[in-house]
Amino acid sequence: MGWRIGVDIGGTFTDVALVEEGGGRIAIAKVSTTPRDLAAGVMTAIETALAQNAIAPDAISFLSHATTVVTNALLESKGARTALISTRGFRDLLELRRSARSDLYDLFQDPPDVLVPRHRRLEITERLDAQGEVVTPLAEDEIDDIVAALRAAEVEAVAVSFLYSFLNGDHEARVAARLRAELPDVPIFVSSEVLPEIREFERASTTAVCAYVGPILASYLERIAEAVDALGLPGLRVMASSGGVLEVAEVLRMPAMAVESGPAAGVVAAAAVGRQLGERNLLSFDMGGTTAKASLIEDGAIETTSEYEVGGEGNASRWLHGTGHPIRVPVIDLAEVSAGGGSIAWIDPGGALKVGPRSAGAEPGPVCYGAGGTEPTVTDPGHLLGGGLAVDIEAARSAIAGKLAEPLGLSVEEAALGIINVVNNAMAEALRIVSVARGHDAREFALIAFGGAGPVHAAALAAELEVPRVIVPPIAGGFSALGLVATDLRRDYARTFYARLSGLDRPALAAGFAEMEAAARAMLAATGIEPTRWRIERQADLRYPRQAYELTVALPEGEISDPALAALAGEFHAKHKATYGHSNPEEDVQMVNIRLSAIGALDSIDVGAPGGGIERLGRRTLVFPGSGAVEAEIARRESLGPGESVAGPAVLQALDCTTVVPPGWRAEADRQGFVMMERE
Amino acid sequence: MSEAKPFRPSVDAATFEVVKNSLYSAAEEMKVVLAKTAYSPILKVAGDYSCGIFDAAGAMVAQGPDLPIHLGSMPDSVKAVVQAWPDPAPGDVFIHNDPYFGGSHLPDVNVVTPAFDDAGGLLGYACVRAHWPDIGGGTPGSYGAATDIYGEGLRLPPVRLMIAGEINPDIDAVIFANVRTPEERRGDLRAQVAANRRGAERLAVLARKHGGDVLRGIMADVMDYSEAMMRQALARLADGEGRFEELMDGDGVLDDEEGNDAPIRVRIRVEKQGDELLVDFAGSDPQTQGPMNAPLAVTASGVFTSVKMLADPANVIPPNSGCWRPVTVTAPPGCVMHATLPASVVYANHEVGHRASDMFFAAMAEIAPDSVMACSQGTSAILTLGGNDYRTGQGYVSYETLKGGFGARPTKDGINALASGIANTMNTPIEVLEMSFPVRVEAYELIPDSGGAGRFRGGLGTRRITRVLGSDAAASVCCERTLAAPFGLAGGGAGAAAEIVLLDPNGGETRLNSKGPFTAMAGARVVYSAPGSGGYGPAAERDPAALRDDLRDGYVTAEGVRAAYGIEPPAIDE
Repeated sequence: MGWRIGVDIGGTFTDVALVEEGGGRIAIAKVSTTPRDLAAGVMTAIETALAQNAIAPDAISFLSHATTVVTNALLESKGARTALISTRGFRDLLELRRSARSDLYDLFQDPPDVLVPRHRRLEITERLDAQGEVVTPLAEDEIDDIVAALRAAEVEAVAVSFLYSFLNGDHEARVAARLRAELPDVPIFVSSEVLPEIREFERASTTAVCAYVGPILASYLERIAEAVDALGLPGLRVMASSGGVLEVAEVLRMPAMAVESGPAAGVVAAAAVGRQLGERNLLSFDMGGTTAKASLIEDGAIETTSEYEVGGEGNASRWLHGTGHPIRVPVIDLAEVSAGGGSIAWIDPGGALKVGPRSAGAEPGPVCYGAGGTEPTVTDPGHLLGGGLAVDIEAARSAIAGKLAEPLGLSVEEAALGIINVVNNAMAEALRIVSVARGHDAREFALIAFGGAGPVHAAALAAELEVPRVIVPPIAGGFSALGLVATDLRRDYARTFYARLSGLDRPALAAGFAEMEAAARAMLAATGIEPTRWRIERQADLRYPRQAYELTVALPEGEISDPALAALAGEFHAKHKATYGHSNPEEDVQMVNIRLSAIGALDSIDVGAPGGGIERLGRRTLVFPGSGAVEAEIARRESLGPGESVAGPAVLQALDCTTVVPPGWRAEADRQGFVMMERE
Repeated sequence: MSEAKPFRPSVDAATFEVVKNSLYSAAEEMKVVLAKTAYSPILKVAGDYSCGIFDAAGAMVAQGPDLPIHLGSMPDSVKAVVQAWPDPAPGDVFIHNDPYFGGSHLPDVNVVTPAFDDAGGLLGYACVRAHWPDIGGGTPGSYGAATDIYGEGLRLPPVRLMIAGEINPDIDAVIFANVRTPEERRGDLRAQVAANRRGAERLAVLARKHGGDVLRGIMADVMDYSEAMMRQALARLADGEGRFEELMDGDGVLDDEEGNDAPIRVRIRVEKQGDELLVDFAGSDPQTQGPMNAPLAVTASGVFTSVKMLADPANVIPPNSGCWRPVTVTAPPGCVMHATLPASVVYANHEVGHRASDMFFAAMAEIAPDSVMACSQGTSAILTLGGNDYRTGQGYVSYETLKGGFGARPTKDGINALASGIANTMNTPIEVLEMSFPVRVEAYELIPDSGGAGRFRGGLGTRRITRVLGSDAAASVCCERTLAAPFGLAGGGAGAAAEIVLLDPNGGETRLNSKGPFTAMAGARVVYSAPGSGGYGPAAERDPAALRDDLRDGYVTAEGVRAAYGIEPPAIDE
């Protein structure tokens, strides 16, 4: 049996999870993220993990990676210098968006930024009609000028997105071919290849996101892939936003699929653990150095959305459009706040104590790590409140005193508690957004807390939301990395197939699916996964002809026959009725998109790391909200054996993270090394 | 002036928070059902509707993230049902659109469904107000310049659409005998009924979990909570008085032989004292022949929108009827801001709504200059087209709005091409529009130099060129700010005015009035330019780097810099 290895890069730490197939042994390694050279950091992390655990590269059977490169490039506006080429008259599509504002009443709201500034938005004369027929032929003689303009602007990537290219990609393909010939070093992303789906803004936006992040992602992944090959490791795979993993070449065809790759891994890990523990309803809470993410797993299922806007603030609510860049790919539904262990605490001009969104990140990091940080962060009250890994307690204390306590006229303890209260409030909001704000009663869920800072705050958050139980998994600090190796290989394909079910061109539909299936099978064959483990799932997006939104309905295997289509229509009417409370079975059904998912199943894995015999490390005076200074028990977390428990106030220390057990709570380990915290 | 009541919910704080959010999430879920199942583009993609949860007296407890213009006036729609049908039974569904009995304008059709607990006790109501693309009358789209309410289309007082869960065939027959494209309307109505059912079910579930009386108590608490927060927010502003007056473009009925439409004067006076606001429109012109007359609830809705933005700029107070308790809006009956029977009203809903909203900021600029914004686009810039689709042989009605600028703020530029003030509809994707209707959009783009000059520039307007295909279309426009351009504040310049030009296929070119019907021949193009927005602060104080960026991106042109900023354009480089 081989080992699987997952590498999850975060803003502060890079985590590596190693899991033995069949054996259930797990190990983790944690190294500081190196923002200046992320790819080198990933390789260091892998090599460190292998060396620490004395595992040879040839014992590795599977390697996957969650990248932050795409999300960071968008959040920090550090993507490629991108140009957009549009149908004449439509250069402003990306800026005109859908025209609704995301916040009805925010007087000082900012417009969403546009990935392609107006001076790099070019037009070409061409036009198709709503049937995909040519109205205005492509003015090929304009391409020379476009090439000259692209050269003059020194663009690094180009997005080409014309009206109706999802019906007829010929004009786009001709422009792309010329550009690829004239500008061989510039990647060209074409909307009819990236996302052949109706709605010009969303298609152009998805294409522009791909172009904007493509070059950065390519150089990053290609460097890692080469180094991985040189080490003799298996081919690199990347976690997609949908929660499945992909080969590098596939990701680079559609880089938008790699957004929120790390957060997706965390939710996948939470769901996997939920299955293992029999916990069907979970709030997953992942707090790292820079951000915290909340997601909801109901009855074992992860929710995905195809209305995601990357780089925006609106994903907290499914109906907040207009703060980021829409991408039409499946993305795990998350609420995210810019607050993590490295978030800097500061005083605003009004005299209020604020935390984040600025983060000390990995370099210089929190003051207490002694790596040159001078501004107090969320981690710095740790010596007072139970956080771990502190090496320079005095520096942390004096930073809190000088930057916060003295200006605010507070004691150091009060200022430290203030940081914790502010940050807990922001976290609780993220958890509320995915639960209470959507009408779920948090009291019916268990909170699974992970990430380097998650278990520090989990019990306090659970108390705030009245969540009865907190689960801290065995390798909480590197838990997301575990999701990378506890998933299946998955690629989702889609294209528009616009037809009424009555009188649908069956051979054309079969051909549409066959083309996607051929691509899917080639993709799966390249992975080396045995064909017996392949699964191909077909679906269709259907609606009533005059509606605007589709429901996705499964189309079972087999020939596309009249009975199959009738069954599909029946499924649609039933699903419409179940979802919206009404249906109209007499009406014809409109097919809009067809979808195909290719899944290469991997063995599921169990995690567990039971300890034995509580190793007590002493007692310390700590401060808790509401309790003041109290004596707390300090114990080594891994030493908690099955059924052994520690009463709060207590702190469980581990290499990867610290679990805080507040007064009135009890932490108990189960057979597999999970720590369950409940109020006594 | 009344003292702010300290807020204390009738249940523990955690339960209050959970149930409050559940009520808002119920309204949001209604929105999902409506948007995802409606048939006409104006609902399914543009989102011209609002959903809400109301108490048994008709006060709004929770509004979906929908349209501000509906906020202030929807409680009147539910109250009209309460008044007309004081004893509703399970299975009843009410429908109405009468601007003189709880409505706003005839195309906005209200469907109201009572919700009951398991003991049969009334909990409250779910209501969806949705804009139907046609409600009868002389012009497809029901946007003609009728001179009284009777000419504007089908007027429905509160009647029962469903009894004991079954469609009432009498009412159904009347409705569908009066509207164009009835098949599409049926789909829309089914979606409205289903959205309400979802809202009513959510209320019933909450009652089952917490108890009917507890739920009723929390519904009252939610409004008290918003009121308390709004009073605190208003109390933080300086006291004082402000005034503003300007002209509206006209009412769509020609006033002289030359085809001119006389402008309409509007006056506003605002008085802020402690935690209350008085807003009065006395001195505004008498109601007009054409449909630029606003029911008072519509005027108030426009004001409430801006009150919320001004007093609660970070939008933390849940919007509901409690928010508006400290705000009194008055206008003399029979003036354009307070229509009386039988004045026609269809344009006023959004056009007067926008005006009330923008003018409130101008009047408040004297009291709270750091909390206001310059005038936004000030119009919904509507184009309706109707006729026969040559591709299918079937009738069609298309209704599209166009976006202009969002006004400049005291610390920030305005925003280009964004729904502002009372409006928040989305554009229809061009590809969806052309698949649905026989038109071709030939351009959809920003208009350079349309943002008002200023320390902070106004947002740009947009231009859309729509070509009518196949056969002639009965068309109409409804726009404002073609004459009175969107004003700047604190010395900022005005945004570019709106303009609508009809290019007929034979080369004729006609500049259209702001409102009214016309014929667009097959092959004709309508060139519609929505206004920019006003700037804030003197143009001379604009940051040179920002001006250079604007020039490089073509948001301003070299001539525009000379004209509006009075300087030679700076050199730009990439």
